[in-house]
Amino acid sequence: MKRFGPERSERSAGPSRRGFLIAASGVGIMLGFIPARLAVGAERPLSEPQALFEPTIWYAIDRQGRVAVNIIRAEMGQHVGTALARIIAEELEVDWDQVTINHVDSDPKWGLMVTGGSWSVWQNFPAMSRAGAAGRLALVAEGAKLLDVDPATCIARSGAVHAGTRAITYGEIVTRGDLRRTFSVEQLQAMPIKPAADRRLIGQDVAALDIPSKTDGTAVYGIDATVPGLVHARPKLPPTRNDSKVVSIDDNAARAVPGYIRSVALEDPSGTVPGWVMVFADSVTAAERATDLVKVVWTVGPSAKVSEKDIQDHAARLIADPKGGALVVDDPGLDAAFQAAGSTLERTYTTSSAMHFQMEPVNALAFEKDGLFEIHTGNQWQSLILPTLAKALGRPEATIILRTYLLGGGFGRRLNGDYAVPAALAAQTIGQPVKMVLTRADDMRFDSFRSPSVQTLRMAFDGGGLVTAMDHHAAAGWPTEVMVPGFMPKASNGVAYDPFAISGADHWYNVGAQRVRALSNDLANRSFRPGWLRSVGPGWTNWAVESFMDEAALAVGVDPLVFRLRMLDGTGRNAGSPPNAVGGAKRQAAVLAAVAQRAGWETALPAGSGLGIATTFGQERDMPTWVACVARVRVNRTTGDVVVERLTLVADAGTVVHPDGALAQMEGAALWGLSLALHEGSEFSNGQIRDTNLNSYTPLRMGDVPDLDIAFIPSEEVPTGLGEPATTVVGPAIGNAIFAATGARVRHLPIRPAAILAALASASPR
Amino acid sequence: MVSFQLNGRPVNVSAQPDTPLLWVIRDEIGLTGTKFGCGIGLCGACTVHVQGRAVRSCIVSVGSVSGAAVITIEGLDPDGKHPLQTAWIDRQVPQCGYCQSGQIMQAATLLQDFPDPTPDDITAVMNGNLCRCMAYIRIRAAILLAADMLRRGER
Amino acid sequence: MDKRLLAGLSMAGLLILGGCVALVWRPGIEPVPPPTAASFAPAEVARGQVLAAAGNCAVCHTSDPGHPYAGGVGFASSFGTIYSTNITPDAATGIGRWSQAAFTRAMHEGVARDGSHLFPAFPYDHFTKVSNGDLEALYAFLMTQTPVVATDRKNDLPFPLNIRALQAGWKLLYFRPGRYVPDSARSPSWNRGAYLGEGLAHCAACHSPRNALGAEDPRQAYGGAVVDGWIAPALTDANPSSQIWSEQELFAYLRSGVTDAHGSAVGPMSSVVHEGLSALPDGDIHAIAAYYADLSQGTARHVGNSAGIDRSIKTSDVGVGQVNDVDARLYVAACAACHYSSGPDPTAQRPDLALNSALRLDQPTNLIQVVLHGVGAAEGDPLVMMPGFAGALSDADITRLIAYLRRTRTGLPPWADVEPQVAMIRKARTQAP
Ligand code: FES
Ligand code: FES
Repeated sequence: MKRFGPERSERSAGPSRRGFLIAASGVGIMLGFIPARLAVGAERPLSEPQALFEPTIWYAIDRQGRVAVNIIRAEMGQHVGTALARIIAEELEVDWDQVTINHVDSDPKWGLMVTGGSWSVWQNFPAMSRAGAAGRLALVAEGAKLLDVDPATCIARSGAVHAGTRAITYGEIVTRGDLRRTFSVEQLQAMPIKPAADRRLIGQDVAALDIPSKTDGTAVYGIDATVPGLVHARPKLPPTRNDSKVVSIDDNAARAVPGYIRSVALEDPSGTVPGWVMVFADSVTAAERATDLVKVVWTVGPSAKVSEKDIQDHAARLIADPKGGALVVDDPGLDAAFQAAGSTLERTYTTSSAMHFQMEPVNALAFEKDGLFEIHTGNQWQSLILPTLAKALGRPEATIILRTYLLGGGFGRRLNGDYAVPAALAAQTIGQPVKMVLTRADDMRFDSFRSPSVQTLRMAFDGGGLVTAMDHHAAAGWPTEVMVPGFMPKASNGVAYDPFAISGADHWYNVGAQRVRALSNDLANRSFRPGWLRSVGPGWTNWAVESFMDEAALAVGVDPLVFRLRMLDGTGRNAGSPPNAVGGAKRQAAVLAAVAQRAGWETALPAGSGLGIATTFGQERDMPTWVACVARVRVNRTTGDVVVERLTLVADAGTVVHPDGALAQMEGAALWGLSLALHEGSEFSNGQIRDTNLNSYTPLRMGDVPDLDIAFIPSEEVPTGLGEPATTVVGPAIGNAIFAATGARVRHLPIRPAAILAALASASPR
Repeated sequence: MVSFQLNGRPVNVSAQPDTPLLWVIRDEIGLTGTKFGCGIGLCGACTVHVQGRAVRSCIVSVGSVSGAAVITIEGLDPDGKHPLQTAWIDRQVPQCGYCQSGQIMQAATLLQDFPDPTPDDITAVMNGNLCRCMAYIRIRAAILLAADMLRRGER
Repeated sequence: MDKRLLAGLSMAGLLILGGCVALVWRPGIEPVPPPTAASFAPAEVARGQVLAAAGNCAVCHTSDPGHPYAGGVGFASSFGTIYSTNITPDAATGIGRWSQAAFTRAMHEGVARDGSHLFPAFPYDHFTKVSNGDLEALYAFLMTQTPVVATDRKNDLPFPLNIRALQAGWKLLYFRPGRYVPDSARSPSWNRGAYLGEGLAHCAACHSPRNALGAEDPRQAYGGAVVDGWIAPALTDANPSSQIWSEQELFAYLRSGVTDAHGSAVGPMSSVVHEGLSALPDGDIHAIAAYYADLSQGTARHVGNSAGIDRSIKTSDVGVGQVNDVDARLYVAACAACHYSSGPDPTAQRPDLALNSALRLDQPTNLIQVVLHGVGAAEGDPLVMMPGFAGALSDADITRLIAYLRRTRTGLPPWADVEPQVAMIRKARTQAP
């Protein structure tokens, strides 16, 4: 598959193609990449840098030798600042306690701002390493001059340049020396980067810089943003996400609420929040109570009657029609292979709508000040929402600024910054600072949740049971089509498609002739706003692929582990390539073998218990994180209740920069996978999502946590992402384990006890 | 006008007595360490102590704590170094961190009632505190560490 | 039976009765100049204060905490709403010009100073048992309170129930005046408990069922009743608690408002404990406990609690671990953090729901009340509060929570029609006067 999407555009103007500059600053020196004068996003030109030195990524060293690193990535629990600052500190040779981080605003000088896809470390590793190395080189050169020695005899260590027994600290060099210089792109490329064996910070556990403030209440999230004289607002949400129009507002009853100010229908030229009425009051509580009492009449959009079943039936119809869709993989000979097959297998898998339920309901504070429109909020993709805000507010992007706060959970919800729009419009309407905090129910109704999906998979076997072809059709709502159509690449048949919604189907198994057809569920796209939810497409594509692999293995009478290993032979297009996928499917086979061994794949279990296995390449084919999981479950045949006793996971994410943080991401992602497999899942009903709070939407809690055994394959390869991969393997591993335990095959996520009982009733006894 | 003690200091607030304590603490008093998650008492992000015990402030009216002693995460320890906070850092518990004030406040009541908690004790008491980042394994580990520190009289 | 039909019938009955006894007319007692505070011995006033607390006078006669005893509390009944009167010594609007004799007659006979009959919402059928000496102390206390100008609120009774003379008929039928007569076969403590409980503390007023005309039914004394939207449980051996109400349990409950094995005094009973009985010395509380433990044969039936407590400990952690049941998950999210206890002994700070009386009553009323409205910091154990879920959970969610608890914690048959009761109780609270 071709590369596309945010990371490509970032790369095109990314730091690796820029020179590097060291400049004096008021309190020390600044080091950073010289901005490219090129386009940053595919469509959006970067405004001309106003000053000479506005690097996209920079850090500063002050006269005490303290290092402050600017972070353009949103912090949402992945300790991204720690990971990125550490890459610089490693090459710069400073001690960790000298490093601080600073999360920046959305000034265009930072270039494209997006945090998602588990890209942060992977994208920035080479550039940040070189940035650190450039600083070190300059410090050594200047330190040697001040010590009056040959730079070749010097080494940098712990924030000082050492020559034999003499040393000079970075702080002193910054104070006394002249560090100003420029590195060309070529010089930067040639910058010596430490061999892995010499690393002192990367791969070691250091304390994450963001953690202490998250234990004493001082961490500041979007919901904590405040400004004097603000007015609180809560929306009265229309009956449908799209196409509702306000007919009339009756706020008579609301006027009895002390603190109620007024209700206004928002005019939104950007079309982000059609039909919204904003209710203003002097406190959150007054706004909440008044909103409940405001009566609004709307004309509703055509989705008012749409249900989950309609969406899924539509998906099934799209799949049944051989025309349409994007042929993401389209090998010749597929139809012939099916015609010639000794046997074939066809199965359909479905998944329910699934909610983000990030802990902090979406919110934003907006106001105009000194000609700038400021929006204070937690956001994962500032560059995406800025143009929309400009359209909504009718003012140039350059006069709008997003101030980023900590995110009380992202999981993809805050890639879509749509919630900034109504807050900004509200502030513009009322001419006062407005803080909008959605109630949880509003947050859920406004969520860009994970679309339900339908997938049909087919496999052809030759007479000996060997796989000769595989065909995968997947239909779902496409977030990228709805929110950033410009990011959709074209498939071989010329149809643009949402890469994130099909990723995973283009797996690394050698299956003979392969076809992957991605279908946009236009009914879903119209009825709600499909969103990116942790791992996006791989959350459902792998549910299908990995459940299907088990069914296929059973069909030809081969152990599911052996069946998979046979196809993960690392040949042909699955051989892998540098820089990111060195080793290809062989590395996937390795994690699979490792997890099987760790989990005791061969061990016999008591009746009612079973092991299930699954493996994926994580998130994207071009940035694979190889991961495999064995789930051990116990199933109650009478109630259909599943107890997940243990999850064993093995991952190969290349170099692990922050081992403890990596483990935390794997733990969280694996438990997300479990939660989505057994405890979550909602339903679209009459134009709205059914579940609006924890009374009926029941994500995993502490009591649901099984034993977790997580291991990493030691590696010096390019580091890849860890935020999402584990979410993709747990569901199918559990489904496969349920089959192993009971003979009940489940093909829908989430797996409910009733589905197991139904499957048991139709299963042959095992 | 309702009066109560907040983090050891007397406060008088002008909010209507039926206003949830959470919003009084966050918006009227301005201590934002206490978080809003669900608003219906099912996530624990808003947990504070009333009369020394963990309570979900989103469904407690400020009127009902009139005269009572309320402690928030900011007041759990004057230096932010309660054994639970130390343990939370040691075990690198928080991810996004949004739930953690509530987790720590609930854990404080847990350790008060169960100084030597079993795994079931921890699960049962902490189950009401949702962590969407699912840092549960570390929350559990940090509670055990803090219990240990308290037993050994560290702090 | 349809409540309105019932009320209609009772009205008809009252009219007839009223006709018969309309002649029963009581003379007024001349007003007196308000006695000065100095005219009462401080010790007598102090004794009266304790008695006023025991009689819980303030709770019924105070609508504004800033003006105790000034009346104005509404008592809704199937007949209409009656408002309590101003019993501060204000000369114009209170009882400032009532003589001791007028006060004693009101307490003993339910007749106001001016000779009009008082409604039996004022429990003179119990106060009639109080000794003259105690009434003198009570009078001394009330007459030395701060006078408050507060005109009595007009009762909200439909004609003809608003005719006070009709009360004479009611009295003829149901009222048996007379001071408490000690039972010499019983201990002095038992007798003290009976005197307080049957008299001033008027426990039966809430805990005994009433007939169609609002009179306590002597055949079902202490059989349990519904009061102000709460169930006052039976104080007889029909009390359904999992643990026997022994004398010690009763003492602990009446003294502190909470026990490990029964739960908290909530709703109207909370003020009885914290605003009323709290003034009484331990000896009186022991006496009351002794009397009621005997009434329910609790002392005799008490054989140790271990079986029930074992079960409660076992069920306390239902819902710990991996649960699929959605109702159990709701319990885990909403309740378990505070209600879980791991034994070996129950603790009042973590109220064990398998031991809680509210789960074992014939109706879910009290449980619904507590789930909806919580337990305030001042109720039950002053160190434990419970938030109410009225603003948080729907009727349907509360219904499944309640059904789940009954199912898993009691082994008793499920309650029927819980959801409409939740809706009704929710509504009653929002419409409370
Ligand atoms: S916000 Fe209070 S419990 Fe969720
Ligand atoms: S750390 Fe993010 S919700 Fe708990």
